[in-house]
Amino acid sequence: MDVEKTIRDLNPLVGQVVPIRTVQETRPAEEFADAFVAEVNVKSASKVIKALDAAFPKDPSLPLSHLRRFAKREILPPPLRAAIESQSVPLAGPAQTIFVLISPPLPDVATLKALLAPFAPDPPPAATNDPPTTNETPDETSQSYPPTPTIRLHHTKIPICPPFNATQAETWTKTLWPVVFNPAAPRSTVAPPPQTLKRAQESIEPRAGYYLSLARKVADEAEQSGLGRGVGAVIVDPAIEEEITTAEYEAGYNTTAEWDQAVLAVAGDARYSRSEAGAPSQAQLHAGVAPNPASKTYNADVEGGPELHALMRAVELIARWRREHDRLDGVSASTATADPSKPELKQPELSALESYFLYRHRPDTSTNTSNPLQSPSSPLKRKHEDPNPESDLTLDPSTDPSQAQLPHPPLPAPPPSTVVLADSSAPVTTPAAPRIRTRSQGGYLCTDLDVYLSHEPCLCCSMGVLLSRFRSVIFPRRGRLESGGLSSEPVVGPVADELDQAAEPGASAVDGQDERGYYGLHWRKELNWRALGFEFVENGDAKVKSEAGMPVFHA
Amino acid sequence: MEFKGNSVEDSRHGYFMKQALLMGEKAIQSGETPVGCVLVHNDQIVGFGMNDTNRSMNGTRHAEFIAIAEMLQTYPRSALQSTDLYVTVEPCVMCASALKQYRIRSVYFGCANDRFGGTGGVLSLHSDSSIDPSYPVYGGLFEKEAIMLLRRFYIQENEKAPNPRPKKNRELNTTFDNDNEEAPQTWARLNLPLILANH
Repeated sequence: MDVEKTIRDLNPLVGQVVPIRTVQETRPAEEFADAFVAEVNVKSASKVIKALDAAFPKDPSLPLSHLRRFAKREILPPPLRAAIESQSVPLAGPAQTIFVLISPPLPDVATLKALLAPFAPDPPPAATNDPPTTNETPDETSQSYPPTPTIRLHHTKIPICPPFNATQAETWTKTLWPVVFNPAAPRSTVAPPPQTLKRAQESIEPRAGYYLSLARKVADEAEQSGLGRGVGAVIVDPAIEEEITTAEYEAGYNTTAEWDQAVLAVAGDARYSRSEAGAPSQAQLHAGVAPNPASKTYNADVEGGPELHALMRAVELIARWRREHDRLDGVSASTATADPSKPELKQPELSALESYFLYRHRPDTSTNTSNPLQSPSSPLKRKHEDPNPESDLTLDPSTDPSQAQLPHPPLPAPPPSTVVLADSSAPVTTPAAPRIRTRSQGGYLCTDLDVYLSHEPCLCCSMGVLLSRFRSVIFPRRGRLESGGLSSEPVVGPVADELDQAAEPGASAVDGQDERGYYGLHWRKELNWRALGFEFVENGDAKVKSEAGMPVFHA
Repeated sequence: MEFKGNSVEDSRHGYFMKQALLMGEKAIQSGETPVGCVLVHNDQIVGFGMNDTNRSMNGTRHAEFIAIAEMLQTYPRSALQSTDLYVTVEPCVMCASALKQYRIRSVYFGCANDRFGGTGGVLSLHSDSSIDPSYPVYGGLFEKEAIMLLRRFYIQENEKAPNPRPKKNRELNTTFDNDNEEAPQTWARLNLPLILANH
């Protein structure tokens, strides 16, 4: 395969980048829920909260911080207050009691009453302005009757989601339960901050079609090798993209030819490459046949496993590069040392594209001698680059056993780019710096990187994206899969005309094509880590209705 | 499911979970988040796993994947359909999906995982409908032991945290020393390589 020709001939997809909405945006949780309201002694308020929180754990996926926990009688919503007072006249003056909200998940009524009993309102002390309809006595210092604490539970509805505006907050406060409006809260609990999303979208948009076309090339390569299904992944460093763009502005020329420089690693699916129990792999069984016949159906027994999916392999390539680098420069040797009891993920030999992108800037250790570190700064030199004094460039390969384990000899570097003009004597085959940050340079997992995929990743790989700390994940709408983990709704979108949008949900419900789950896993408020998710809608995709017709498998 | 430890079946589960805990113990000794697991096929342990994210520098190398890789050296993938997993912490969303794709027979776990759990903690992928069959999950077996492992790890982690990272961060540290908002962030960054929270 002529890798450089493949790259030169890339034909960027044409279309637009659309943020994948979060599941909370597409399917707001059921708006209202039942709750209890109980009148308690105002002096016990903090104890009441402690007791409630200790006894009834909150549902972390259901933050209810927009609801006041207490309300004085006079700020109860009039309907609720009327309902309460119709059941029992006020026992005490307003200053003596307060109403506490018990929100879902609702505890058992008897348990709740027992828990709150110690905090029941004092029997009538000085009810100055209440008409004495009961046996109250206006005795300030002693009580005529022994305390008989009772807790009455009243029902109300509460809004589960924070209000989106002040008007909504006021309406709820007047009809359901006092609500706090925090302008920042509504979106931040259900979706990424708009500024963050916008910035990422703007940075992705110009080159997304290019990187996705590369992902498809990687996918083709995987399919044609017989080693896997036609799925590809491309990991890109937006910081390098930015430098390319900056160079473009400064020099005033088109840098399209440089875009591949921001690619740190590519990987294709390799699910048929693994030999299990010593038996031949699917790829070996069907050697020379492409696509692999196993890809015609979904038979779990011959699907390899998710660690052989494109995303997982790409993540592992970055990790492997760092492990190799750490061994070479001796940094963190103790943690990077291979432990024979923990075998590395068995990977097939790297494909031409995989090897090219992973190792293209790896200094050619067979020729390194004197000055590679002084080679001209590539225009892509990283802002955050922190030259490593123990660079692998100084290491003698003959003494390093790990060199023998390199799956591929380092490939020659690509031809000098048009912008490396500086010093003609400089060895153009030794670029200034590897583009993957080593651990000693602060490189950590896939933090701050973007990943472009030819297909919607499966749930396992979608979570792999989060665990690897990617900034964003992008796939083409045409690559949606029923088993995917990122989509949050059936296909509707800015490219569909209004008629389509209106018809879509009904149509899909009728023909039953949309029974897949929509997990929107890229950004779930319940999870500790989140990424920005984007779909690439190619021009003409308005007609792509759903995942119907896509093959069924995990990408 | 209640594990009372008073029947042959319970002591069998207990035995395998103890083996998983031993793997968690091994993890903590190698500076990994202490999650361990074993795969059991025909009453035999056919795969051992512990978290391997720090050493491998790959945040997806969870115990389950390590154990499966070991098992597949001697068994075909189809054997997972008659294999049970014993894992000290509820499988995360990633592993819960992987186990489903691999068609595990059933999963026994120690403590729940309400941050990443994929079998009830956050999502319930084991029982959601999908192109693969559901699998049953039983939690709470040696729960306290599993939690203690995690606690020991996080305490120990504080002690040996901030050495390997260089000057950059030290500067950051002094710069934001008195800034309450920044301080925890700096701390977290310093600790990153060790807190690859897992599972």
